[in-house]
Amino acid sequence: MKRSGQHRIDVIRLGPTSWALLIAAFALGVVAFAWPLFASANSALDASHSADAPWIFVILIPLLIGVILAELADGSLDAKSVALLGVLAASGAVLRLPSGGVAGFEPVFFLLVPAGRVFGRGFGFVLGALTLFVSALITGGVGPWLPFQMFGAAWIGFFAGCLPPARGRIEIALLATYGAVAALAYGLVMNLWFWPFVSSGDTTVSYVAGDSVAENLRRFWGFHITTSFGFDIPRAVFTALFLVIAGRPVLGALRRVARRAAFEAPVTFIPAETGSTIH
Amino acid sequence: MIRFEHVTITYPEANAPTLVDVSFEVPEGELCLVVGVTGSGKSTLLRAVNGLVPRFSGGVLAGSVVIDGKSTADLPPRDLADVVGVVGQDPAAGFVTDYVEDELAYAMENLGVAPEIMRRRVEDILDLLGLHEIRHRPLASLSGGQQQRVAIGSVLTAGPRVLVLDEPTSALDPAAAEEVLAALTRLVHDLGITVLIAEHRLERVVQYADRIVMVPGDGRPVIVGTPAEVFGQSSVAPPVVELGRLAGWSPLPLSVRDARRLAGPLRERLAEVELSAFRRTPRVVGDVVAITDGLQASYGPVTALRGIELQFRAGEVVALMGRNGAGKSTLLNHLVGLREPASGTVRIMGAEPHRLSAHEVVRVAGLVPQDSGVLLYHDTVAAECSASDRDAGLVAGTTRSVLDQIVPDIKATAHPRDLSEGQRLGLALSIVLASEPPLLLLDEPTRGLDYGAKQRLVELLSRLAGEGHAVVIATHDVEVVAAVADRCVVLAEGEVVSDGPARDVVIHSPVFAPQVAKVLAPLPLLTVHEVELALAAVGDLPFS
Amino acid sequence: MTAPRLLHPGAWWLWAVALAACALRTTNPVLLCLLIAVAGWVVVSRRTDVPWSRSFASFLRLGLIVIVVRLVFQILFGVRIPGTTLFSIPEVTLPSWAAGVSVGGPVTLESLMAALYQGLRLAAVLACFGAATSLCSPYRMLRALPTALYEAGVAVTVAFTFAPQAIVASRQVREARRLRGRSDHGVRAWTASALPVLEGALDRAVALAASMDSRGYGRRGGASVSLRRRSVGLVLLGLVALAIGSYGLLDPGAPAVFRLPALAVGVIALVGSLLAGGRSIERTRYRPDPWVKPEWIVSLAGMVALASFVLAGKMGDTLNPSTNPLEIPAVPIVAVVGLLVATLPAWFAPTPPTLATVSTSVAVAA
Repeated sequence: MKRSGQHRIDVIRLGPTSWALLIAAFALGVVAFAWPLFASANSALDASHSADAPWIFVILIPLLIGVILAELADGSLDAKSVALLGVLAASGAVLRLPSGGVAGFEPVFFLLVPAGRVFGRGFGFVLGALTLFVSALITGGVGPWLPFQMFGAAWIGFFAGCLPPARGRIEIALLATYGAVAALAYGLVMNLWFWPFVSSGDTTVSYVAGDSVAENLRRFWGFHITTSFGFDIPRAVFTALFLVIAGRPVLGALRRVARRAAFEAPVTFIPAETGSTIH
Repeated sequence: MIRFEHVTITYPEANAPTLVDVSFEVPEGELCLVVGVTGSGKSTLLRAVNGLVPRFSGGVLAGSVVIDGKSTADLPPRDLADVVGVVGQDPAAGFVTDYVEDELAYAMENLGVAPEIMRRRVEDILDLLGLHEIRHRPLASLSGGQQQRVAIGSVLTAGPRVLVLDEPTSALDPAAAEEVLAALTRLVHDLGITVLIAEHRLERVVQYADRIVMVPGDGRPVIVGTPAEVFGQSSVAPPVVELGRLAGWSPLPLSVRDARRLAGPLRERLAEVELSAFRRTPRVVGDVVAITDGLQASYGPVTALRGIELQFRAGEVVALMGRNGAGKSTLLNHLVGLREPASGTVRIMGAEPHRLSAHEVVRVAGLVPQDSGVLLYHDTVAAECSASDRDAGLVAGTTRSVLDQIVPDIKATAHPRDLSEGQRLGLALSIVLASEPPLLLLDEPTRGLDYGAKQRLVELLSRLAGEGHAVVIATHDVEVVAAVADRCVVLAEGEVVSDGPARDVVIHSPVFAPQVAKVLAPLPLLTVHEVELALAAVGDLPFS
Repeated sequence: MTAPRLLHPGAWWLWAVALAACALRTTNPVLLCLLIAVAGWVVVSRRTDVPWSRSFASFLRLGLIVIVVRLVFQILFGVRIPGTTLFSIPEVTLPSWAAGVSVGGPVTLESLMAALYQGLRLAAVLACFGAATSLCSPYRMLRALPTALYEAGVAVTVAFTFAPQAIVASRQVREARRLRGRSDHGVRAWTASALPVLEGALDRAVALAASMDSRGYGRRGGASVSLRRRSVGLVLLGLVALAIGSYGLLDPGAPAVFRLPALAVGVIALVGSLLAGGRSIERTRYRPDPWVKPEWIVSLAGMVALASFVLAGKMGDTLNPSTNPLEIPAVPIVAVVGLLVATLPAWFAPTPPTLATVSTSVAVAA
């Protein structure tokens, strides 16, 4: 029936309110992660004056994620989607267990990228957020970094669902490239979040409020090279490699369950004729 | 209460309808049994009752399904939750929460029931199903029977008048199965709830059934009637009914008690016959293939097996029986080398299996595990069969032919996970049996198999034993033990409780005796076939 | 003292967040160490004996790592200001593609102490998070979520129930490879067993969804149009307020009302939309965690500690002892009293139930 190709399932549909929320969340996310680059001297975010302000985002981001999840779920999340979300989030979280992020080995994306591709961008967003959340709950690591990890992973899932249609080898290449880029971007963004906490004000690689964006970027690059870039490269390579090797079976399994769960299969009732005999 | 009118169901990607023109009615307060061969559409029928088919699975439903005046065409399953409760084949897969009480309350939370009423109903269901002692336990720690009862309770709290269960006792040992069936009959008789069950192990259930719906499969019409009507004609029947047909009893007995009342003349006649001549010819037993010596096994602090000393000889079929958790699976795992003994030894043809590489082990021992799905890797049945042929170095097509022997009519392009439970088991069996290793181990091989498939399996195992293989079956199915086993080993709490010829061990046990033995006690006969042989030898067929 | 039960998870988190806010207001090492000790004391008194309660220790370890990382950074990259030199590291200037920063140079005691204080503050915040994680059952946390997030909460509950099964299943599938004559060790075995586990997981998801559907999942009362409009309106208001607040945070020239007040309005509006959105789902809760006296005591204890820190700051106490010149940090009494109040939960929170003390009767109201 649906052997022909480019039909895409969109398990969680995005209405206008959802789009507004997502765009706003993206904008706020940029502020929440990249404020050291833009902060002006004597602003509330200048850490030499008060250390509170960055922590405001630790409250804002989860609230925003919560509101987006509530909005996306409104009417769109039926039992099948919820069960699939739960099971995929658990699988992703279990994949993360042995490594715990060591040496950049972040297998979360192995499932997230194909799932976002098969089930659509709304699903990818929710799955990214939930996978990191479940992983934190399972490992007992609910820390202040969690909302930001959830946020980053959610966008990775979202953009995976935005990739152009393709099949066969091209699809695998597309996913592998996206996976590598996403892994690098994730590492960069998480390091950007981490940056002000480890080095505030008095090192050569910390941000200086009021300085130009270019100057702060240069310092951040110094910080990034010496810290997580060494982890980001292997992570990107692993992700791309995995998607090349195992991408097709995983996509196949996900598409098979999409068929079995009959997300978009037609349901028809034909009424009985009259005059029936019953045992 | 339940009314199917000219129901024809076609799945979205199927060529032919799964059910054609099914019409029947189940009045209120009856226990209705749905019977049919593996893969014939019983699950489809059951899921159509609350509308999961076609709303959940997609497809076309022609005709109408009306439950308590409400049609599934008008209401989705979630709005029928307080009318119909459905329990699937694997209760553990349907649990949403972590604890017993929360699971029981889940349906009521969805329906928006007030908190005081929720508390009251949860207490009622705990009492009704005997769950109050485990109410605070996490669901993962419960036994199979307890999980099944919690699953039943979790749909009952919504207050439905109809209960639908798909093979509720297939994974349970006889005692747990009795508990579940007792709970169900209490619901039917005390509360007037209408219960619809699909079962393969008819001998356990048929005495409670008021009505039978037989689904022949292949789109043939469905046969509906009282048990006596349906089994009077059908070739597939529990042993008690077959014995009744053989002896010409009327009305056909459905339970051991009914049969014993009618069995007086038959017993007297058989008492005069020299019965040892009609037992199944004991097989010629060869050398010892496997031997365990003081085997001790433990999972962490828990000792699973204690001091097991057993021998398995070529040409012998050994039945391993015992409660769930007695250590049967552990023993089989040790025999095939999946686990290392804590102390003591296991030897197969002189080698210790856990030291052998996987390649070598498969040449000496084969195990079909309880969850047959763990053996299957490939996309299609055909791919599995050819991989199995390649792995074992067999002629291409061997596995497929063994599969056709056990469970025929499986499409080569089907995905193994899309098969029914019994079909998947058949595929796993054929993969292991095709390479014909000297020691064959089967862990609960009859779950999900109908009588016909069981018969074919028994024939296959007998043939293999005749060719000199040692066969060990861990099973609860006493009828299969009666039909094929030479020796019987009973385990309890990790120790061997009895080990002897099957006939001796099984015949006087209230739990392990087959129906024929119970009916004809104290005569030492196990199967209807033996009775038939005995009567034929003295020329008394047909018996009257 | 009430019978054993679990405290409402919201109370623990309020307490922990208040303590974390205290930690953020000071770099006084005495206060920070006292704070960590307070958190540890409460955790030890009131945690359950289940796996997640051991996470406090791992958070403490993480705090230690953070301190060490901070010190290393200071040693390698610190901006050199005059002070008591402890030792020296050869200076190297990184090439221009690595941002041309200079590494090394003399390391002063003052700079190390400054880094130590900063790291200690972070470690204290982590300790608060660790305390909250150890004291709350994730399961009860999910059940306490607002109704608007119900679907997401169910997904997480499903994931929670399924994760241990996934681990067991992967082991079973890998071992079962032996039964087909393939090795169960090595990379090949791990990778080849992943896909069957995934497929099994997905099949279970479908079976689970059928079970949920049959039990009434997803019934919605008709949400009135006005309720929906109100909810959407609150969301948009919240977004606008947050946008203004973020702008106010970044730009020092913006009027003060664009900062905290705008953010507060945004937060309240978004929380309101969550609460309003939950109205359209007609669900009840079976035996929800009650919010009674112990919950009030615990959350207020945290608030009192926070208030005491604010008061101490206003009174001019040394919440941020200077490191240049280095001085022995004084101990602000008001803040210490506040922290001692924060230990009240160790006595007033109900003891958590162990498996042995669980009985058929569970006290609901204090």
